[in-house]
Amino acid sequence: MNREAVTKEKICTAPKSKTGMPIMHCPGCHYGIIIRVICEVIDEMGIEGDVVGLTSVSCSGPWAYSFYFDSALCPHGRSPAMGTAIKRIHPDAIVFTVQGDGDLGAIGLGCFMNALLRAEKLTTILLNNGTYGMTGGQMSPTTLLGMRTTTTSEGRDYRVTGFPLHAAELVASMKGVAYSARCTVHTPANFQKAKRAVRTAFQKQIDGVGYSFVEFLSACPPIWGVSPVEALKFISEKMMAEYPLGEFKNVDSIL
Amino acid sequence: MVKGEISINEALCKGCGLCVYHCSRGCITLSAEKLSPSGMPLASFINAEKCTACCVCAWLCPDFAIEVYKYTDVS
Repeated sequence: MNREAVTKEKICTAPKSKTGMPIMHCPGCHYGIIIRVICEVIDEMGIEGDVVGLTSVSCSGPWAYSFYFDSALCPHGRSPAMGTAIKRIHPDAIVFTVQGDGDLGAIGLGCFMNALLRAEKLTTILLNNGTYGMTGGQMSPTTLLGMRTTTTSEGRDYRVTGFPLHAAELVASMKGVAYSARCTVHTPANFQKAKRAVRTAFQKQIDGVGYSFVEFLSACPPIWGVSPVEALKFISEKMMAEYPLGEFKNVDSIL
Repeated sequence: MVKGEISINEALCKGCGLCVYHCSRGCITLSAEKLSPSGMPLASFINAEKCTACCVCAWLCPDFAIEVYKYTDVS
């Protein structure tokens, strides 16, 4: 082989809309992969000049440091309300909110449901890891039945703490919603499917159809008490049994 | 011929081992001797002749620590 006839080309590196800031999450946390999904989709669509990212009170709070585009931290579940304000002042902006399961399903459920009922042209990305990872592993609305957390030490019992929240199915039943899907990033194929889902969600907002929603199942190895590789198995066996993947709604007109 | 190569940023790698799990060619291993500046075990690139530059390790690295290079024979 002629060594001089071989070219070396960089084919995969960090996306352009991701800053050089190191990821602040625990080893094995899937949130870094979800940052890559969002940033790669924004790069491929060429919308980094118009997009506004709203993070929330969860481990996704410091994501504002990782984004090269406009972003803001909206604590305690108020991202859809702030997104509504931004969208009404700047109708051309592409606004997405990133919310954890506790942020969206517990403290911010009111703001979220009202934004859905108003059929705001927003995109919400839900990060579902089944626990309050940031505050030390308490039970969250999406904790699986029988799962042990610091506040359900015998496992979650539906007679005491109720049933898990299926956000993607709930959102799909609302009239103002254009797109609702659930995906994971625990295998390469699902990574590509997740990119397609996020791209479709952004496209629904750009086309002005309605609310778009993507739920990610993600791992929290330190709180689950498993290794990062065992957490992948936990997702495919336990999480996906309770939360099936797929698109639940994909319409071109909400009327 | 060698098709691909990866470089691992030792300042960013936290040693979670996801790249080792996802690499179907066995090109990455967690080295026991070497530690990162923050005290984590480091992933290192082995079996360079098997790498096909498929980019799966870079996609699924949560810490953006992996860059993938592809060799192309232009002759």
